[in-house]
Amino acid sequence: MVMLTGDQYRASIRDGRAIYLAGQRVDDATTNRLLAVSVDWIARTYDQYHSSVSGARNPMFTSPRSSADLANQMEFLATADFTAATTAGCMALRELLPELGAIRGEYKTRLATFLDRCAADDLRVAAAVEDGGIAIAGKVRVVETRADGVVLRGAKRHVLGASVVHELLLVPAGAVDAQHADQAIACAVQPNSPGVKIINITSAPEAEDDRHYPVSREFSVPDCYVLFENVFVPIERVFLNGETDFSGALVDTLGIWERARSAAEMAERAELVLGLAQTIAEMNGVDKIEHIRNKLSMIAVWASMCRAGWDRALANATTTPSGTVRPDESAVYATKAYGGERYNDMLSYLHDISGALVLTVPATADYDNQATHKYMEKYLRTMNGVTGEARMKIFHLIRDISADQYGGWKKVTEQMIGGGLIAQRMNALDHYPIANVKAKARQIAKLDERSTAPAARATSPQLPSHREPPIR
Amino acid sequence: MPMMTGAQYKESLKDGRLTYIDGDQVSDPANHPLLKTAVDVAARVYDSFYSADAGASNPAYIIPRSIDEYRDRAHRLSQGVTDMTLGTTGVTLLALTSAAAKLGEVNPAYSDRIYAYVEYCKKHDLRCAEVITDSKGHRKKRPNKQSDPDFYVHVVDRNADGVFITGAKMHISASSIEHELVIMPTKAMYPGEEDYAIACAVPVNARGVSIIDMTYAPRAEDTRHYPVSGKVNCPEGFVVFDNVFVPNERVFLDGETAHAATLAHSLGLWERAAGLGDAGESADREVGMAALLAEANGMAEDPRIRDQLASLVVYATMCRAAGEAAMVNATKTEDGNMLPSPLFVSALKYFKSEFRARLLDIQHDVAGDLLVNAPTVGDFEHPDLHAALGEAFEVPGFTAEDRLRLFHYVRDTTADAYGGWAFVTGQLAGGGQHAQRIVTMRQYNMEHAKKIARRAVGIGEFRKSGEENWKPL
Repeated sequence: MVMLTGDQYRASIRDGRAIYLAGQRVDDATTNRLLAVSVDWIARTYDQYHSSVSGARNPMFTSPRSSADLANQMEFLATADFTAATTAGCMALRELLPELGAIRGEYKTRLATFLDRCAADDLRVAAAVEDGGIAIAGKVRVVETRADGVVLRGAKRHVLGASVVHELLLVPAGAVDAQHADQAIACAVQPNSPGVKIINITSAPEAEDDRHYPVSREFSVPDCYVLFENVFVPIERVFLNGETDFSGALVDTLGIWERARSAAEMAERAELVLGLAQTIAEMNGVDKIEHIRNKLSMIAVWASMCRAGWDRALANATTTPSGTVRPDESAVYATKAYGGERYNDMLSYLHDISGALVLTVPATADYDNQATHKYMEKYLRTMNGVTGEARMKIFHLIRDISADQYGGWKKVTEQMIGGGLIAQRMNALDHYPIANVKAKARQIAKLDERSTAPAARATSPQLPSHREPPIR
Repeated sequence: MPMMTGAQYKESLKDGRLTYIDGDQVSDPANHPLLKTAVDVAARVYDSFYSADAGASNPAYIIPRSIDEYRDRAHRLSQGVTDMTLGTTGVTLLALTSAAAKLGEVNPAYSDRIYAYVEYCKKHDLRCAEVITDSKGHRKKRPNKQSDPDFYVHVVDRNADGVFITGAKMHISASSIEHELVIMPTKAMYPGEEDYAIACAVPVNARGVSIIDMTYAPRAEDTRHYPVSGKVNCPEGFVVFDNVFVPNERVFLDGETAHAATLAHSLGLWERAAGLGDAGESADREVGMAALLAEANGMAEDPRIRDQLASLVVYATMCRAAGEAAMVNATKTEDGNMLPSPLFVSALKYFKSEFRARLLDIQHDVAGDLLVNAPTVGDFEHPDLHAALGEAFEVPGFTAEDRLRLFHYVRDTTADAYGGWAFVTGQLAGGGQHAQRIVTMRQYNMEHAKKIARRAVGIGEFRKSGEENWKPL
């Protein structure tokens, strides 16, 4: 069992994988200026948690077993790079080992072996779930089954970090019907396997001097479209092959930490939006103006409700049969649905409070240019105690996260985790403890009490047998 | 003086102006990687309207005096290419002439200078920037109470020939690639603030003018997956005036505080009205985009998607209605110039901004994550990838290229650098939401509304003597 350092991680992904960016083949992600943003982020997590103590391992490989563990896990996911949530999601598939074993004993053994190896070798795993297309050609399917493995063809989209991780874990995007058993395939594929081609889209800034992109220059993720062109997968890496009845079960478990991270981040993001709005309002000298306070109050309500939603998810955490403690799914979906539906409105308020300098404040390089420095400092400051530089930094941050390439990618991506706004709402309903609220309704309606006495019914037969309860 | 060709326009920008972007000084905007596209588009605009005929001019310089003239102007403009430089020129000159009558009452020279200036721009085929928003400092403090008197552009010196101005103006679209800066006070001024009640025109290359640009122009080497911003974009200027001399004939207001807001209100109206002509068309395009995305993702018949589309259809229909109402209820200035109804213009602007957040959510929900991670045109053309991407992306009714184009278009306009710019400027240009509410309230006939309410209730002048106050319907 060995933990990698950041540099060892970098070396480990220089393995000849076929990756592409903007129509060009990239030989080495670690030295490509745009992809290196993600590589460096992951490497920082490796270095932060590295330990040479025997048996040490990254927190992402350990499932929380108590409320305290869960709080620690969420704090870890919030501060670690993006592969932490996808790798932890893969580890959560241990939950399904008994059911997999019931289908075929080898599936259970192979998956357990794979997960153990990831933990032992400190590997990062990307979840390859969504099919690349609607037509058959765009779906990953088994085109040949051999004694020693299977051959895959098709595509998976939205595979976060595929080009910079060690393993791709493929599962069906949902339940597969019996006619398409060839799509009921779950397996692990190494990114450098022959026939795997990884196309990257990244919101890492293209600007040579990218200091005016304070978030995206450090925290961008390659969002990958992965082609599988007759990719051979050895039998020991196949965890499901053709059992359509079980095909829909994997995706939900695989995504739990990704959804949880997203809901937690919604609460964090809402607080950041409020913090930025209040800060820039004060810097602009408008924080006491009624219509500004009105907007700030709406953001405050939103931030409070997002935090409340996430707190509820933690407070009502559930324990799986194997003992893993996980956030309440209904609250996770509700937080995402509510936070997401109001997100654009809140950004509108933030922009309205900030003003158009969000877009038009010049770059840090202009601030450093001797010819323009004095003008920027002079005209961006607003009052004693508010420097031009500080205000410029706030505007850069707001633009980067809410009105530029990274902001657009992030908004859409977070909206899609959990299936989009409508799907999140529906999932919140489907996971809601609906029996409890029905019972409450029945109780107030007195459905389980005896009806009006027969004598009274006889005297006024036209009256309904149940009256509305007083409003409580 | 003949009209300019695109090539002549490009040459005209090499006039010694001081422009900066990304920390570097720009000597030739036409050949700077981040400004080149904007200049190329402006040059195409010039070429599209070019005529060698003596006396020919761009229709943007027409000052309409009736709805028919307004529509004729819009029609003639639609025959050529348009862009930000032509848009700001038209709006700025309309704002000046709309205010000319009122300013002329204070000083007839102001009105004469405005009309002479419009003729000058028309004759030389010049592009004008709207230069209005000051750096403002502490927003709650008056210009003359700031910790730095230069937070609002003001007159710092004068002589018999003109005035000297100092200050900075923010978010001045296209200023670094135009010829003229038309400066107006950003808001109403009061006695004691005479130096701040200054409106004038300054050439971009005037001594003491510096422009620091920011742009959403894509920086990628291959910009084909930016189908809009890769072809049309525009820098935003942070414009500094450091003791800039302005000759008298270019001064349109100088010290008359009571009229400082006249130009701002006039400009605000025309800025808000800029999208009026195609309010219905642009809203329909957004509906169409969502409908195409639904088809391209095989979800056109999904009842939940149809429900979302219905919301967009109601929105588009109301946008068209408000745009038409603004024209039907147009009024005239004392000079006889036509003005679209400020009530409907502001209400439409507010409504569009208010719904924009929801519109984007619907488009994004329908599009799915491919919106932001669909491979680029360069990827699609790569021989290693072309065949497989072609197979994977194709669906009945849409080739792979069709779908990629659709995703790229909606990403570029709603979820990328240009989309962010459009989201914010759509809301803030011509004043934010609060300003729209104030203008709408001011323009709304509240007395009429209260009167018909009194009539319905039977009180006030509608209460018949001897009748009870309460009268059932």
